[in-house]
Amino acid sequence: MTKGMMKRRTLLRLAASGGMATALYPFGSVRVLGQDAPFSDYRCLVNLFLFGGNDSFNLVIPRSEAEYNVYAQSRQNLALAREDLLPIFPSTTDGMEYGVHPSAGGLQTLFNSGQACIIANVGPLIAPVTKDDFLNGSSSIPPRLFSHNDQQDQWQTLKGRDNLVSGWAGRIADVISAATDQQTLPLNVSTAGTNLFQSGQDTVPYTISEEGADAYGALEDSVTLGTERRQAFQDYLAGGFPSVHARALAEVHQRSLDRADRVNEALALVPDLDTPFPASSLGAQLKIIARMIAVKDEFRMSRQIFFAAAGGFDTHDDQNALQPGLIANVTDSLAAFQTAMVEIGMADQVVTFTQSDFGRTLTSNGDGTDHGWGGHQLVTGNPVAGGEIYGRMPVLEIGGEDDATGGRIIPSLSADQYAATLARWFGVEESDIRLIAPNLENFAVQDLGFLG
Amino acid sequence: MRHVISVLLVTLLVSSCGGGGGGSTVPPSPGGTAPPPDPNPFSISDAEAVRFLRQATFGPTADSITRLKQTGYEGWIDEQILLPPSLELPYMDSQPEPEEFFELHTTRMDAWFQHAVTGSDQLRQRMAFALSEIMVISQLSVLARTPRGLADYYDVLIRHAFGNYRELMEKVTLHPAMGVYLSMLGNEKPDPERNIRPDENYARELMQLFTIGLVELNPDGSPRLDAGGNEIPTYDQGIIEGFAHVYTGWTFGGSSSFHSPSFLFTIPMQSFPEFHDTGEKRLLNGVVLPTGQSPEKDLADALDNIFFHDNVPPFVSLRLIQRLVTANPSPDYIERVAGVFRDDGTGQRGNLGAVVKAILLDDEARQPASDDTAGKLVEPIIRLTGLWRAFDAKARNGRFLFAAPEFFFSQAPLRAPSVFNFFTPFYSPPGELRSLGLVSPEMQITNETSTANVNNYLAVSTFLRNSSSPDLEDSEVFIDIESELELAADPGALVDRVADRLLAGRISSALHDEAAGMVGLIPEDEPAFRVAEAIHAIVTSPEYAYLR
Repeated sequence: MTKGMMKRRTLLRLAASGGMATALYPFGSVRVLGQDAPFSDYRCLVNLFLFGGNDSFNLVIPRSEAEYNVYAQSRQNLALAREDLLPIFPSTTDGMEYGVHPSAGGLQTLFNSGQACIIANVGPLIAPVTKDDFLNGSSSIPPRLFSHNDQQDQWQTLKGRDNLVSGWAGRIADVISAATDQQTLPLNVSTAGTNLFQSGQDTVPYTISEEGADAYGALEDSVTLGTERRQAFQDYLAGGFPSVHARALAEVHQRSLDRADRVNEALALVPDLDTPFPASSLGAQLKIIARMIAVKDEFRMSRQIFFAAAGGFDTHDDQNALQPGLIANVTDSLAAFQTAMVEIGMADQVVTFTQSDFGRTLTSNGDGTDHGWGGHQLVTGNPVAGGEIYGRMPVLEIGGEDDATGGRIIPSLSADQYAATLARWFGVEESDIRLIAPNLENFAVQDLGFLG
Repeated sequence: MRHVISVLLVTLLVSSCGGGGGGSTVPPSPGGTAPPPDPNPFSISDAEAVRFLRQATFGPTADSITRLKQTGYEGWIDEQILLPPSLELPYMDSQPEPEEFFELHTTRMDAWFQHAVTGSDQLRQRMAFALSEIMVISQLSVLARTPRGLADYYDVLIRHAFGNYRELMEKVTLHPAMGVYLSMLGNEKPDPERNIRPDENYARELMQLFTIGLVELNPDGSPRLDAGGNEIPTYDQGIIEGFAHVYTGWTFGGSSSFHSPSFLFTIPMQSFPEFHDTGEKRLLNGVVLPTGQSPEKDLADALDNIFFHDNVPPFVSLRLIQRLVTANPSPDYIERVAGVFRDDGTGQRGNLGAVVKAILLDDEARQPASDDTAGKLVEPIIRLTGLWRAFDAKARNGRFLFAAPEFFFSQAPLRAPSVFNFFTPFYSPPGELRSLGLVSPEMQITNETSTANVNNYLAVSTFLRNSSSPDLEDSEVFIDIESELELAADPGALVDRVADRLLAGRISSALHDEAAGMVGLIPEDEPAFRVAEAIHAIVTSPEYAYLR
């Protein structure tokens, strides 16, 4: 069960103050201290969450002979052939050569043209963890490693060992709510249903479908008595209910009714894009997000965060057969989205990034992989200092220095560092960054540098 | 698809509301057969009966209310437990072969709705549905190729709905659909040469999601804390690996060899000992399985090891209570039910029939709700079955060919997005519920999109598919509004009648006014439109969507 409001606020406050010489302050006043002048520009983040745990050690692969051989020895029948890898050319070299999965042509193009970067071996961490720390059961290890929902929660909330029930995009919306109060839609919009990532303390995200806002057919003006029916329903909803559950549902109805027509009327201004998208749910999600960005001025949006998602990455079985389609869907969708941003003239203001439950084991279970920890993530868009691999590529050796045990790689960068870098670019003030990324203070590097 | 429905509503409602010929109908026979001497020996009010039947069935009907009053709560449960199970696979096999293979999935939906809407073994079907949201497999996976396998798995849940949880664990573990879904099927002993070790998927999820969860629990379901106030993990990676080694050496039953699978999805998996790991295996509570055991012996020992873990009673009890009665049961309620799970009074552990009886007869389920945090949102698809049961819905061809309920209701049997089900037991939406520290699992599939979709389907099901609707296709499920038509001239009486059927008359004055006001806007010569309007107002209301 979750804790009450006061408890959570206390936790957030404690997380914010940490070991620093900062006075404890109530959450409410943080917003007064934070950004509250309106933003003069537009910026947008798109989180592409890969549910199930993407096997990113088969997405970015060493091509240098020695490192490739280590990879191939570890991965055995799951290893990709060296000659099939699509070469990428990082501007800054660590002395090794790299390639991406043969189905990741979209990524290869974006990377080599400087519009994508790779964040190497990132994952949930409370503080840096060495192999010895892991074997000795360090308190810096996030709880419930290797569990899908718990590690999804870690990525989305950055809660570490705390009981935070808000997501870091939700907290961003909270801390810049004064600066964005001209916006007539919530800062957070999901095309993939309810999620913790966008759930704030004070702010609630808005969900749309792959086609836009879903309207209530019987309440449309064009339907017999639709206008009257809608008014009667809204009057009834406003009257209150003797159940906390009914009230929760009624609020969703009210928000839905309040927004659907506005959103669909705005989207009708850009009925289609020239850019083709993959014929997948993810392609459709990124397309509606592109159209929403195209009509942002209809809602006076200056800051937006979208949540899109793809599933099916839990490749315990049949990985060699499944992975090409999974990776092609993601990288082709990212490439299409970038093209669409150029088409609508927003390429300089939008950053897309991936998250996933965890990386997967280097070892095989016969025809698939199991739950790991660290993994690589992708960031795309013109603002990205692209064509680079940020962080250190891990040693892909079973029992090697980066292997916790059984081919589960210990992350060398934290999800907090990743989020803080994105949040800073988005416009969160330095004094509020620790509210967004509570564990950041435990790391020497405060910004991963991939956004300049 | 969803937009198609929306457009359908717009186009049809504009032109054809109310339909033809609804005005003169045969008056309903009042009362039917003579009542027994005392129709209500247990003094169960209509409101009490409806509350119970919304917890224990897919929706109250006039007949079920009558029967419940005759038998009392306990007698009704006993009677239900003895009814023969309505099974999906035999139903599917009795239906004509569809033209396309994938349409068999629609036949499976048909089977589910047949039993949910018209089956007499309602409590068993509700339990099976609840169990299908705990021991999850999903068509949205490689199982998309085996509708009959999915149905056979669901039949396991139906058959064992009142059986023993340990036996159910074994049937589920050895069902090939589960074997494929969580990749125990085909899992082999380690091959260090090739860096291959056993698959950990089933080892992890059987414990995390089906039986004990991640942290030690007290008998009341609260986390047990160590001296430092920290939660205590139930297992570590080494134990996962121990169980992963247990679950090696199994493939489809009837296979000629481990690597020549039969692909038979309706008989239990079989073992091939040469592919089973025979080493020691570290399990829960310090238990270590010795070397050299057979696949069957290892499996039986491992399932016992889990089944007798102290977490299982509160873990399973909480989840079943949440599916049937309330999202936030008190710790005492959980502990009372968990106590029955531990021992049904005859020394049996895991007797699900006794557990469901304890859940439904508990004071917290039967006494008036203490405050406005009690109860739960009714699962979206059960709002639809409730409407269909209350108004005796059917299609002329006798089928319920609803291909994709999940597009409208964000859920359908065995179609969860992952093994984590449609929602978690601990989902707490931002706002009042979260600030009160309360959960509402169903709110995880409630958002601005889903609310519109649910109401759109309910609008179609009332306005466009009722017994007065013109041009109904043979496959369209329609509600029977004949006995409401005679009240159509009197908006207040009509709304009262509909509220009786859906809410046992417990309608707020606000909803009554909304519904009656809308009815009054419709000309008297369109009685079916009036009836549909009244039903629509109630069935799409938050009042109908929660259960207290």
